[in-house]
Amino acid sequence: MTSIRPSQVKRRSQLARRHIELGAEFEHCSNLIVVKDYGSQTEVDQAKKLGLADLSTLPRIGFKGTGAPDWAAYHGVTLPQQPNTSAVQKDDSLVAKLSHQELLILSDLGVTSTQIERLEDSPIAAQTYALPRADSHCWLAVTGNQAAEMFSKICAVDLRAHKFANGEVAQTSVARANSIVIRHDLGSTPCFYVLTDASATEFLWDCLLDAMAEYTGAPVGVSALRTLS
Amino acid sequence: MKLLTCPLNGPRNIAEFTYGGEYHPMPDPNITDTRAWAEHVFFHDNAAGVVTEWWCHTASSFWFLAERNTISDEVIRTFEASELFNQRIDFVATNSKEGKL
Amino acid sequence: MKPRLPAPYGSLIDRDMPVNFNFERRSYQGFAGDSIASALAANEQWLLSRSFKYHRPRGALTMAGQDANTMVQLPSNPNALADRELISDNLDVMGQNYSGSLTKDRGALLGFFSRFLPVGFYYKAFFKPRGMWEKWAPFIRKKAGLGIINQQLEPEYYDKQYKFFDVVVVGGGPAGMQAALSAGVEGCEVLLVDENPTLGGSLNYTRFDTEAVRGRKLRAQLIEKIEANSNITCMTDAVCNAWFADNWLPIIRHKRLYKVRAKQTILCTGALEQQAVFHNNDLPGVMMSSAAQRLMHLYAVRPGHAGVIVTGNNDGYANALDLFDAGVEIRAIVDLREQPCESPMIDAAVARGIRIEAGHAVYSAHKSGNHLSAVEIRKITSPGVCADSGEVIPCDLLCMAVGYTPTYQLVCQAGGQLSYDDESAMFTLGNCPEAMQIAGSVNSHWDLDACLAEASRAAVIATNALGLTNADVPPQIARESLSPNHPWPIFAHSAGKEFVDYDEDLTIADIINATRDGYEHIQLVKRYSTCGMGPSQGRHSALAAARLVAAATNRTVAQTGVTTARPPFAPEHLGHSAGRSFYPARRSNMHYRHLEAGAQMLQAGAWYRPAFYGRPDNSLKCINDEVNNVRNNVGLVDVSTLGGIEVRGPDAAEFLNRFYTFGFVKQPVGKARYALLTNEGGVVIDDGVACRFSHEHYYVTATTGGVDRVYQSMLKWNAQWRLDIDIANVTSAYCGVNIAGPKAREVLAKLCTDVDLSNESFPYMGVREGTVAGIEARLIRVGFVGELGYEIHVPQHSGEALWDAIMDAGQQQGIKPFGIEAQRVLRLEKGHIIIGQDTDAMSNPMEVQMGWAVSRQKPFFVGGRTIRELEKKPQLRSLVGFIVHDSRAPIPKESHLVLDGAQMTGRVTSCNYSPTLQKPIGLAYVVPDSAQAGSSIIIKSTGGVPVTAEVVNLPFYDPDTLRQEL
Repeated sequence: MTSIRPSQVKRRSQLARRHIELGAEFEHCSNLIVVKDYGSQTEVDQAKKLGLADLSTLPRIGFKGTGAPDWAAYHGVTLPQQPNTSAVQKDDSLVAKLSHQELLILSDLGVTSTQIERLEDSPIAAQTYALPRADSHCWLAVTGNQAAEMFSKICAVDLRAHKFANGEVAQTSVARANSIVIRHDLGSTPCFYVLTDASATEFLWDCLLDAMAEYTGAPVGVSALRTLS
Repeated sequence: MKLLTCPLNGPRNIAEFTYGGEYHPMPDPNITDTRAWAEHVFFHDNAAGVVTEWWCHTASSFWFLAERNTISDEVIRTFEASELFNQRIDFVATNSKEGKL
Repeated sequence: MKPRLPAPYGSLIDRDMPVNFNFERRSYQGFAGDSIASALAANEQWLLSRSFKYHRPRGALTMAGQDANTMVQLPSNPNALADRELISDNLDVMGQNYSGSLTKDRGALLGFFSRFLPVGFYYKAFFKPRGMWEKWAPFIRKKAGLGIINQQLEPEYYDKQYKFFDVVVVGGGPAGMQAALSAGVEGCEVLLVDENPTLGGSLNYTRFDTEAVRGRKLRAQLIEKIEANSNITCMTDAVCNAWFADNWLPIIRHKRLYKVRAKQTILCTGALEQQAVFHNNDLPGVMMSSAAQRLMHLYAVRPGHAGVIVTGNNDGYANALDLFDAGVEIRAIVDLREQPCESPMIDAAVARGIRIEAGHAVYSAHKSGNHLSAVEIRKITSPGVCADSGEVIPCDLLCMAVGYTPTYQLVCQAGGQLSYDDESAMFTLGNCPEAMQIAGSVNSHWDLDACLAEASRAAVIATNALGLTNADVPPQIARESLSPNHPWPIFAHSAGKEFVDYDEDLTIADIINATRDGYEHIQLVKRYSTCGMGPSQGRHSALAAARLVAAATNRTVAQTGVTTARPPFAPEHLGHSAGRSFYPARRSNMHYRHLEAGAQMLQAGAWYRPAFYGRPDNSLKCINDEVNNVRNNVGLVDVSTLGGIEVRGPDAAEFLNRFYTFGFVKQPVGKARYALLTNEGGVVIDDGVACRFSHEHYYVTATTGGVDRVYQSMLKWNAQWRLDIDIANVTSAYCGVNIAGPKAREVLAKLCTDVDLSNESFPYMGVREGTVAGIEARLIRVGFVGELGYEIHVPQHSGEALWDAIMDAGQQQGIKPFGIEAQRVLRLEKGHIIIGQDTDAMSNPMEVQMGWAVSRQKPFFVGGRTIRELEKKPQLRSLVGFIVHDSRAPIPKESHLVLDGAQMTGRVTSCNYSPTLQKPIGLAYVVPDSAQAGSSIIIKSTGGVPVTAEVVNLPFYDPDTLRQEL
């Protein structure tokens, strides 16, 4: 039993209490705290089938404005071609293009990527504006072969593998909450990142677990996700 | 449920959108007479036929315009607002010219 | 249980699995797969329920779940269709709509009074005098009700699921199966949906050839191919209940509603057999010929011992052969046609020695107990008219085979047009919208090969449209010249009771009388007579009613038409529409700290907010204590729900100048300014403060409920103005608290060392960026509650840590959390209005004493022109503060009226007991004459008690604003 508790740092997921109730083991990752696992030996298998993970404490940021894409490219960001697609970066972080003028940048699962920090520290250009995506949105991951089928109960966009390719982005409504859905497979396991208004995190978590019950989906920690990727 | 094609996000259920009312150009508030201003603010054409409407894709907060036939409910096309608004609009105070009813 | 017919009869039942259930408290046995109606029929129990109006005995009519005759009561489900609902062990089934017992219903006496219950009876009888209806309604409702709702029912879990297909085929009969197959082999994703337990449709029970082999063989072949095709998904036991725009199909299966989007739809919904209209045509034992065939082939139940068939086509002969082969004694085939055409089916009937009476009709049915005992057949002398006498033939089964109506509902919902062809005496469909095809008997094809060819053709059109094929579309197949529909299977009887609409107990005379009462349009006939308004929605009455109305009004049936077929196709549970609830409830990061502190939470919009801290039965004291602690000490309130919008860029000030009423161009950096928002109509719709953190950076707050609309509106305006700015809604990115009270600075100073908090350096309405308890923070000195106060906004995920740090730091100063109830009292004492509570859809800035927040120096702002016009007109009302001095008077509440004599002149918008003034205070709209301080107004308070209040200047508390500028 580790003694790491979410309350040891200032930055806490809205779901910290849910994780504790589920018997989560937490880990320090960089200077933040994330759920390592829920004590199950079969979490990797669970994640392959249908898993739900909370990545809300991991770094992410947004940039918006007519100058944002060029500025980001200048600072080494590989830009996705089209709006509503994403591109994996050299340091394993992920950049999603939400419109011609808006980027969303997500850390890798091990928080080894440096891009977010580098951009935060770079002098910002004209017509470029940072967005506090790390706080405005929660960040959940739904993994597994049954993920798309489960999503069809709460999301009107067809997320099946042959209709929603790896790297695609959908800005839509998930369980009536405005969300950004990004398909970002972990190895051969389908994975969808869901970013939703942070204040609705617990609502969304409960909805997802309810929708997953039919397929015996369950929460998984970040360590299972890392294994898959 | 009707489909509406967002210029940014593609075809989506119309439940994902917020209706923004008919598009009609705003008369210059500083020179328009009272009657015409009241018409602009309070009256809508509600025309039977092809009208231009504002729509917003709620999840991405993206505003665009749609041409829709109000008789058949057919959406003829959707397009970005920049097609109609391609330069900065400025207002100049011209109170003296304000129309009288 | 009587012995059933041997296999292969009974394709739906499993003879190895007996099931025991109860009907009317008697126990019965059936087999797994039996419907309630089939299992009861197997036990010779034909009577299922009583009719809606006259309480007539009713039994199975279609055996396909298409009529209201079989509606029974299940413990948790009224109006269940006995021919659709399956039996299960120990299921308790009761008949419906009777007084006394199902077999001896006292309500059936109503039938004797039927001539006193003419069509439009309720309108006529209870319309006058006024108030009459209220008196009769409970009695009539009790008599007229169908099943009983179980009000002790626990909610059940219903949900919904989206599905996406290239092609959806509705109807799993021969045409539907062929269409699905033809589309599936071209590689598209196909859904084949059917409401029955198995695919096959008419192939399951119809005799297509004299040897009765073709149907079964074809069904097996098609199913084998469908099962082998992985592109085809089959959904049986599932009703496609409507067609909505862009091929959006709600499909109900068990407790789930599938919201299916199809690129192409092929409707193969088949046809519904129609009844003959004659005296007592509703007796149990009288049924559609297809119902008899379903009983035999699907459930292995013999529909009777001695049968008569009334027919107007050759299907009646096929039916007779089926009955004959199943051991039913055929007493006669009564053919309405003078000259039946040649057909192998007729030859086969003749060969079996079956008596055929051509040019005859069944004129009436006789009963014994609650069942058919004989029919009287008579020679037809002219259409609809019979000879004066005839022959009575004893029988316990009468099968009706006089024609069909296409199952047109979904097609018509999609915009397809129904017309009537006088030649074939049949409704036909046309004008289907793009992306929809129809095939099979719904398209009036009766020959099996024609149905299959039409289905393949529909699939080619669909796959071509999808771009999967580029094939030549085969020519359309002409409809057969031989129609199965008899033009007039309607025979009026001197004693009436020839039912046109079984659901509503409507007879020939009822329909004709509706037209005589002046309701000639078919839509008016429906509303006046209720024809087609029952649970089966005109499936079996539309055709006969159209024919009768046409004849009575000297029009053609085509001119008469049918009533609009609206969704849903079949009755659905409210649970299907409701699904599971998705209400994105929002919580601040400090939510659990409120709960731990004993907060009573309430929902403000989607947000959970603490109302007050303490026990509900002690609310007033809790709220007053919280107020006093803020006034005398220091309090902390969670304001995370407050909207926050970043406006950044070179034109940020110019944008706010146009969007809000105030002037912002000259606002200094480091200062906040009140921001009032009006719409183009000059109505106040939101407010907040605009904090200028740098020349090009404003952080604007908005109301909790208004921020989403404000944000959208900002984006819409700037989509037109194209100012050089960015607008971002960061509401959820920040958690916020307001630390307020004379000791606020003392507490904050312990946690914030990088900002000079002194009044000189950081005055009222100042804004600063710094760190609080090590957390990056935005600090705003505001005075909403009227005391020295700081709003502290920090990144959302650090909200709880901030809360903890401030509560710890303030312990010594006696810091206590306060909720929104106390906040409301505090702001009222300070005379601050709440947009939406103290304003309504007409409030302009002048009315709410906000004229000071409107700039007259700007070339433009939203609502500006309208406000200028409003200012030219006399003001109609004013929002004023009032105090109630009489301590015994009942405290006025929101929306209580302000009266001038009997005249309503205004209303209260806010009112609370003020712990500070120790008197009730409030805000109210009054006429300008009463708006002066010192005026007296009368408020009609709780219980209608008039309460006198004094109009006073705002604010009630600290008019010189010394306290918030400490």
